Amino acid sequence: MSQHKNFEKERIIDLKKILAIIQKNFIVIMRDKARILPLILFPVFMILVFGFTSGNAPKHIPTAVIAYDHSQLSQKIQQDISGSQTLAIKKIVSTEGEGKSLLDSGKVKVLIVIPSQLQEKIDSGGQAGITVIVDESDSSVASTSKQAISSIITGASKDISIEKIMSFQKSVGAASQGMQNYNSQFLNKYSLIISKSKSAEDSLKEASKKISDQASSLENSLSAPTPIIAPRITRANESFNYFNQTYIPESAAYLSAKGQISVLKQSSSLVESARENVHDTSEMAKEEDKKFKNAQDYQSQQDNVVEPANSIKEFTGYNAGSLLKPLAYEEKPAYGTGKRNIDFLIPSIIALTIFQGAVMGMGRAVAGERREGSLTRVFLTPTSNVTIILGTLFFYIIFEILRSAFLILLAMNLFSIRIEGSLIAVLVVVVIYAGVSTAIGMLLSSAVKTETQYFGVAMLVSLPTVFLAGAFFPIQAMPKLLQGVASFLPVTYAGDALRGIMIKGFSIATVAFDVIILLVFFALTLGACFIVFRRDIE
Amino acid sequence: MKAIIEIKNLTKKFGTLTAVNAINLEVKEGEIFGFLGPNGAGKTTTISMLNTLLKPTSGTALVAGYDFIKDSSYVRGIIGVVPQSFSLFPELTAEENLTYIGKLYGMKDSVIKERTASLLKTVALQEHKDRISGTFSGGMKQRLSIAAGLMPQPKILFMDEPTTGLDPQSRIAIRELTRTLNNSGITIFYTTHDMEEADKLCDRIAIMDKGNIIALGTSEEIKHSIKAEHIVEIELESPSNQLISELRKMPHVVSVHQSNGILNIRLSRKDGIFHKLSDFFYKRRQKVLEIRMKEHSLEDVFIHLTKKDLRE
Repeated sequence: MSQHKNFEKERIIDLKKILAIIQKNFIVIMRDKARILPLILFPVFMILVFGFTSGNAPKHIPTAVIAYDHSQLSQKIQQDISGSQTLAIKKIVSTEGEGKSLLDSGKVKVLIVIPSQLQEKIDSGGQAGITVIVDESDSSVASTSKQAISSIITGASKDISIEKIMSFQKSVGAASQGMQNYNSQFLNKYSLIISKSKSAEDSLKEASKKISDQASSLENSLSAPTPIIAPRITRANESFNYFNQTYIPESAAYLSAKGQISVLKQSSSLVESARENVHDTSEMAKEEDKKFKNAQDYQSQQDNVVEPANSIKEFTGYNAGSLLKPLAYEEKPAYGTGKRNIDFLIPSIIALTIFQGAVMGMGRAVAGERREGSLTRVFLTPTSNVTIILGTLFFYIIFEILRSAFLILLAMNLFSIRIEGSLIAVLVVVVIYAGVSTAIGMLLSSAVKTETQYFGVAMLVSLPTVFLAGAFFPIQAMPKLLQGVASFLPVTYAGDALRGIMIKGFSIATVAFDVIILLVFFALTLGACFIVFRRDIE
Repeated sequence: MKAIIEIKNLTKKFGTLTAVNAINLEVKEGEIFGFLGPNGAGKTTTISMLNTLLKPTSGTALVAGYDFIKDSSYVRGIIGVVPQSFSLFPELTAEENLTYIGKLYGMKDSVIKERTASLLKTVALQEHKDRISGTFSGGMKQRLSIAAGLMPQPKILFMDEPTTGLDPQSRIAIRELTRTLNNSGITIFYTTHDMEEADKLCDRIAIMDKGNIIALGTSEEIKHSIKAEHIVEIELESPSNQLISELRKMPHVVSVHQSNGILNIRLSRKDGIFHKLSDFFYKRRQKVLEIRMKEHSLEDVFIHLTKKDLRE
């Protein structure tokens, strides 16, 4: 080994050499500007997108209210909706048609239908349903808004329910109290009538006992045995929350509530018969009026009983369902029933694959062929730039049509998705969008020298496209800045148009805005291609 | 013979670097014109401009009578090019490559078919016409590249270092093919840095260095231009440093170099030099094993002109 005087012996781990390799790689990467930029921007973008989307539910989802009722209750529900951060009422309309066109245009994502005579129905012990129509093309927006509205309506329903039960309790208590007073004062004072009102006394006693029993049993069921009203309401709320959480029609909580209601009904009929008895005794007492001076006295005692008895009677028309859930939340998908996540994903996937396919493909077609020299061969022939550009462009358009067709057929067969709109309309969007994507790829490839650089630069465009396409992350949940970036990306319009046609069954005229924007993109990018496409081989 | 390529004051600058510096050149119809120079001399830049791939900074050129900027499309239809690197579509077969190129030249399908078949025969690839060209050997790729250059039936064929990196058999095959093509009437513009190849193959030669044409003419003319110097090679039994320094003091001796025991002596005059040298060595009791006058090679010319070795 003496002849290698100039070298050190080879080692398995040679720190100096490791350092040399590290240093060399740093030099290489720092000199390649087209690579270093995306390498830095990539994580920044990822942090921005994930930071703003994960954990942040969509906010201020544009909502329209179709108000067929303008009662206090209707106002209250609307206020609750506006008060939530999730939804923002953009417009209040008076017909479903108006609402639907707002939904179609994408100006709102949610419609809330408040039925006519809402307050009247609830006040008379009936049930009313609030219908929510959601544009499900953005699944996370759809689920977030459904959840928010459902909880607002359930909350309102609970408030009404508690109020009713409290007033029922109050009436029962008052009736019971009134009857006790009647018993103690009237019966004791006017012994003459005792014999005549014997039967009345018995039924009154029984009624009074039953009523107070039931009143306290109802109180007990809604609260712990405490004489103070405020905690009682709180506890009633808690037991309702529990009830809502575990609500299944035949659950124990439901059954017990139902049992209480039927006991209440029984006691109500007892109160009714007591009232009749009181009436009878009062009539009898009136007969004896001449002999007694305090006729007014028992008249007022009678009123004490009759009034609560009447208000109790109101509740006899109630059923458990309407008492416990006066307001019902009803859901209706905006565009056909049975739409699943995959239905909403397919248009976005098509939009994404077209873009990725064309942009990445152009790296091979232009940057790659430029490197390989086969583009030189083309440049050596009497073939104009426009011809070269159009040839490449048409190839990608045809290729993307075939690829989209394959994707749609696959989705149809594997996941039995249905396309609501016309295939011709889908084709129109695919053609224009493939054109835009190809032209963007061509522009980028004109700006770089090597294929590696190309993929770096292409990533700068394709990353925001993937994340801001709305396929994986809700745009609604992103900050205004990123939403602004999205409005400069063709994928936003292509995705919107494809979702409109494929899911909502829109015609090409309905998505005309998207199509026009895409055409503008196409004209600009293609025009730029003709200008910047370089023929010079260095 | 009339000129088929006329270059006037052709200049190309890349930023501050002048790759081609106002060169003037004429290539005659029917000749094999050798374009020599070391790497980075500006040969490929010049060829790229003549091929319409690169726009010049200034200057003009007429290719077969057409202005290479104004009528670039005509020029492309008249010339054939065999670029330095393989520039075909590696995913296509030999035949598909030629067919595609024919279509880009706007040729009729029947003509393409005929021409493809005859060219594949010319470059001896007819047996491999259905093979994917990416799998070809270096020599085969170069032959296919020549066929591609010949597709438009060019008047001029530009060949940019077509033998570089090939094995000796392939080099010979390419040279023979070049000569055959030239015999069929095609003017050949041949770039190389192999002096021997240029010497054997080319009718006229231009030598380029640092963007300038430093010599132009037939191989003989260029060699004669430095005939003022004469080289004698002497092999001695035991040459010493003392002897070499004494040799250098002799009249008319320009320089003395020693390599592998052979002395290379450059002289400004050759009259009676053998006599003088034998006398010199006899007096010093030196046994001369061999003594010979040496012919100039293009390589010597190049070293003389540029003061550097060609393959640097």
